[in-house]
Amino acid sequence: MPKLLLPAMLISWAANSPVAAETPTFRPDDPLWVMPSPLPVSNAGLRKIGDVYDLFYNELGKPGDSQPLRGQPILARGVNTLGDVPDGEWYVNRHYRHRLSTTELAQGPVGAPPSRAEKWIVVAAKNEGVTPGFVIADATGRRFVLKFDPVSYPELATAADVISSRFFHAIGYHVPANHIVYFKREDLVLGSDVRFSDPKGRKRSMTRQDLQDVLDRVHKAPDGQYRAVASLYLTGQPIGPRRWHGTRRDDPNDTVPHEHRRDLRGMRVFASWLGHDDSRSINSLDMVVDEGVPHVRHYLIDFGSTLGSASYGPNSPRSGHVPLFSWKPAAREFLTFGLYVPSWSLAKYPSYTSVGRFEHARFDPERWVPEYRNPAFENMLPDDAFWAAKQVGAFTDEDIRAIVRTGQLSDAQAEKWIVQCLIHRRDKIVRAYAPKVLPLDNFRVEEGRLQFDLVGSGILESPRYAVRWFRGRAGEQPRSVNDGVGTELPLRYDDLGADELLIAHFYSGDQRTVRVYLRLQPGSAQVIGAERTWATSVNSEQRSHIAGSITNR
Amino acid sequence: MCPQLCYRCTSTLKAASIFLLLVNQTHGQDASPMTRAGEITVERHRKQRELAAETNSKWEDRFIYVRESRLIERFTAGIAGFRVKLGGLATNGGFAAGPEYLRTDFGDGLMTFRASAQASLRKFQKYDLEIGMPRIAGRWLSWNLHAAHHNYPQLQSYGPGQGSVKTGRSDFRLEDTAIDTTLAFHPLRRMTVAGQLGYLQNNVGPGTSKRFISADEQFAEATTPGISHQADFVRYGSFVQYDYRDRPGGARSGGMYYAQWGRYVDQTRGAFSHHRVDIEAQQFIPLINARRVIALRARTSLTDADSGNRVPFYLQPVVGGSDSVRGYRAYRFYGDQSLLMTAEYRYEIFSGLDMAMFADAGKVTDRRRDINLRDLESSVGFGFRFNVRNNVFLRVDTAFSHEGFQVWFKFNNVFASGPVKTSSSQGEF
Repeated sequence: MPKLLLPAMLISWAANSPVAAETPTFRPDDPLWVMPSPLPVSNAGLRKIGDVYDLFYNELGKPGDSQPLRGQPILARGVNTLGDVPDGEWYVNRHYRHRLSTTELAQGPVGAPPSRAEKWIVVAAKNEGVTPGFVIADATGRRFVLKFDPVSYPELATAADVISSRFFHAIGYHVPANHIVYFKREDLVLGSDVRFSDPKGRKRSMTRQDLQDVLDRVHKAPDGQYRAVASLYLTGQPIGPRRWHGTRRDDPNDTVPHEHRRDLRGMRVFASWLGHDDSRSINSLDMVVDEGVPHVRHYLIDFGSTLGSASYGPNSPRSGHVPLFSWKPAAREFLTFGLYVPSWSLAKYPSYTSVGRFEHARFDPERWVPEYRNPAFENMLPDDAFWAAKQVGAFTDEDIRAIVRTGQLSDAQAEKWIVQCLIHRRDKIVRAYAPKVLPLDNFRVEEGRLQFDLVGSGILESPRYAVRWFRGRAGEQPRSVNDGVGTELPLRYDDLGADELLIAHFYSGDQRTVRVYLRLQPGSAQVIGAERTWATSVNSEQRSHIAGSITNR
Repeated sequence: MCPQLCYRCTSTLKAASIFLLLVNQTHGQDASPMTRAGEITVERHRKQRELAAETNSKWEDRFIYVRESRLIERFTAGIAGFRVKLGGLATNGGFAAGPEYLRTDFGDGLMTFRASAQASLRKFQKYDLEIGMPRIAGRWLSWNLHAAHHNYPQLQSYGPGQGSVKTGRSDFRLEDTAIDTTLAFHPLRRMTVAGQLGYLQNNVGPGTSKRFISADEQFAEATTPGISHQADFVRYGSFVQYDYRDRPGGARSGGMYYAQWGRYVDQTRGAFSHHRVDIEAQQFIPLINARRVIALRARTSLTDADSGNRVPFYLQPVVGGSDSVRGYRAYRFYGDQSLLMTAEYRYEIFSGLDMAMFADAGKVTDRRRDINLRDLESSVGFGFRFNVRNNVFLRVDTAFSHEGFQVWFKFNNVFASGPVKTSSSQGEF
């Protein structure tokens, strides 16, 4: 429990501050932590996304709702009354809410590596993506996609794929189970009549030479072993990637426009942390899974272009700093004949072939950008960023080490560098985003006091705040509770009227506030909602995170 | 009963009506509107009534079709080995195209076969056939046999030496047929040592351009050896090359160096036998994380005619053109010896486009001792390099010299040259 600071100035300011917003309406099941059972999906069909088209469409077409230039911003949806994302088919609360052990973090999603009981049968070749690969079936009949490292950069893409998939899983996203595997050519047998699209685009049966050609294009260790990522096939029926805007028209459960989903807006922070500028639509996959009711589950896939890797080699130093194309930087370079040197281009990268271009000194989380426009990332608001930053901050140094170790990098210094970068980048993210709002979270009542956690503890200085208590009913202006100062609950159940809520209002001295709603019951009290306000950089007007967070719409 | 519909009453009525609606529609599912889960379920049911197939725009479907059907790969790969080959003829030949038959899968990929025929709008023609074994004894050896016939009816000539004038442009026809074989040894992954043997037939005739005088009318055998008398050659030689560029198609670091020696023995009149040596060094210096690159190239071509012999003009080194001193027209200067130097400063505008500021200098001379840095022809300019994953597929260069300016559209890299392995006239044409 962080120490409550009560400078005289704050007390005075808090005592005189009005609480203008009405008390929102809460439901009996607030805060909702698990999304209701999905409706059955019966006719969701495969819909592909063209990667080149997607680039131009997002850059030129500007799809999806954008934040207005003035006035009230569009708040994130698909969140509960505390501002968190309920468990569902997009996201499951994991490491932040239910702390995972280092073993669980390293284990990642459910799914063991391919069995070595028998030789692996090559059943298909992987044509998509920039790295070669194929699909194998193991002795148990499970299928895996094998993806490799580029010839000159052993361990680069495979380590990135495994490490980042573990992080995204620990954060809460659905990802495939990825494992590093080592094998020799003789461990593979070619299945019968494997259809294959050769480099010239001709579809034909795959031959042993084709198999060898794929292996000739990837790194081979001196002992003849190949290293790969074995990515377990996802169960269910694939229906294509999801877009970063709008909703799927054939999925009744997909009701929140993607550009307004907190789990997708906030993913900008996670992507920046892990250097995932390749977080395009095509690196996601929707699957119709049948767990009693057929419904759509949304996966993130392909993490080979993270942590400084571009899959086919090290990523460009531009990665994360400027998009593939942007008028301003391009004009600046053009007009100055290259004499203008952007600061990002001065980043220093160690010469580890297994890491690529990944560093922390020039990393600026607030200015980080993906390869091209992403409607959800662009819509991110301070409370979206706070939701993500608190999760990044939940990874301790040891957590990070445990996950990075799963990349099985042979160079201990390279592994150490990735860990060091992730720690520094984590700290920068917390410093950048947590103070955008009053960084108090995880409110609960213990021993008659309102307790909470300070996000970024150990990284940030303790914020200055004061608290004042109110009472109120839905739709009514809250009324001040006399002498209600400090975190001790000033009223008991019997003191409140029917349907009346107790409200703790935390002030910071600027426009950052948190209103915490408590429902008192005989002998207990439950935190049922939290609203945050923050200052805008444009006109310093207070923007209130009204209980729109409560509804799914 | 509440006399007026207060907030609580309206909310209750609203909730009740939604509840009744849901009871009718959800057949018992947990969709109570009084709960948050119920609200969400109501919204899902609302959407369920409006479900539609998930579709793409026509344009997106076209993009997907092109990618998935691999039209570009199939177009470049062709059908059953047959495909269309574009470009590749001498500069100023105009747009060229023709069929090509290519197989790389003979003997499980041990042998390759290629044959092509091309013609251009200016009636340039090229026919060639190539058989290769890229991997013999693992990666250690490779072998190649190349036969080619060219018929170029309008190649430029401005006369001998650096004193030639721009207004002295003439043209000539060059017909040649060559068959060459190269056996290469690769002691290191980046190193090649090779021996070559070949036979070259030449025929030079009047040019067909109506705009320019024919070279045989403008120049005499005394100043332009070979203009009147043609010769066939046996040629042999060797080269050594070391290439450690990071990406040969658009290098940002590394270098490429080669030295090549060739012996041409005149089989017709014994008048044009000579030796030729080509030495080239390319160096790419990356700056600030390779977002800037200084690219340097120096090349010299030296010939040495046997006693009483001369080097025919169509086998002489040339300076000027899109891969040479770019401010001058193609094949602007002919001479027995040549020197070429290029420096480029390249900088990235955005992913996929680099800009270059460059300076070229070069000269041709009759005597080897005149290969020095005096009296160089020079040009400066700027250019754009379009690339995909750092492989340049198009460059547009504009270069200025005291003879005016030249604009070059080329589907290659300016430093793409390397040792001459198989060609008719030492690769100049």
